[in-house]
Amino acid sequence: MVAKWIETLTGSLEQKKQYKQDKARIDGLPEPYATAAKAMHRYFMYFGGITDGDTLMTMFGDLADLWERAAVDGTPIRDIVGDDPVEFAETFAQAYTGKQWIDKERARLTKAIEDAEREERK
Amino acid sequence: MGKQMTEMLKGTLEGIVLAILASRPAYGYEITARLREQGFSDIVEGTVYALLVRIEQRGLVDVAKVPSEKGPPRKVYSLNALGSEYLEEFWGTWSFLAERIEQLHHDIEHPHDEGEN
Repeated sequence: MVAKWIETLTGSLEQKKQYKQDKARIDGLPEPYATAAKAMHRYFMYFGGITDGDTLMTMFGDLADLWERAAVDGTPIRDIVGDDPVEFAETFAQAYTGKQWIDKERARLTKAIEDAEREERK
Repeated sequence: MGKQMTEMLKGTLEGIVLAILASRPAYGYEITARLREQGFSDIVEGTVYALLVRIEQRGLVDVAKVPSEKGPPRKVYSLNALGSEYLEEFWGTWSFLAERIEQLHHDIEHPHDEGEN
């Protein structure tokens, strides 16, 4: 009960815990995987545009999975990110774009065009 | 990989990977290895991984975590009912596209036997 009250003030504590755990997994990777994973993590903070906490947590968890596996298998960095790391990061992030701020704008644009179309028919 | 090949693969790789999973469940690296065997020599593991994340988010595959000899458990992907439906639609689309493009190619190379078609 108290936890619930605190969470209304601070946001989900469970999510914060999860975030810290995933961040620790990324920070704990051996080099050069830690550098690559941290760079992607940073990029997601700018690019992601995902406002939904749960989705963001899933994404960061998967990011840690990806690089932990790569580190264990000794997969070369380039075999993960390809020639264009930006494209790779954006493709990766796009898988999670179920609930993005842009979705609201997309819905708005769609509606505006429909309204305009109705005007046209009058 | 050639730029054109990369662009063309973008639209079809999802179907290709689902087709691979239709024959049996697999984890990321196995899928990449099979693609390489089949001549997609330059495909990188990350591309396949990002695609697997995407089809998982869209509910086309089921995921099981299987312990591995070392490191974290491997995610094994298998096609589910929704994925099978999607794959069927993919084959329909592919057949249509391949047929039209082949026809176009034929018409351009042999402009005189139009009457036969």
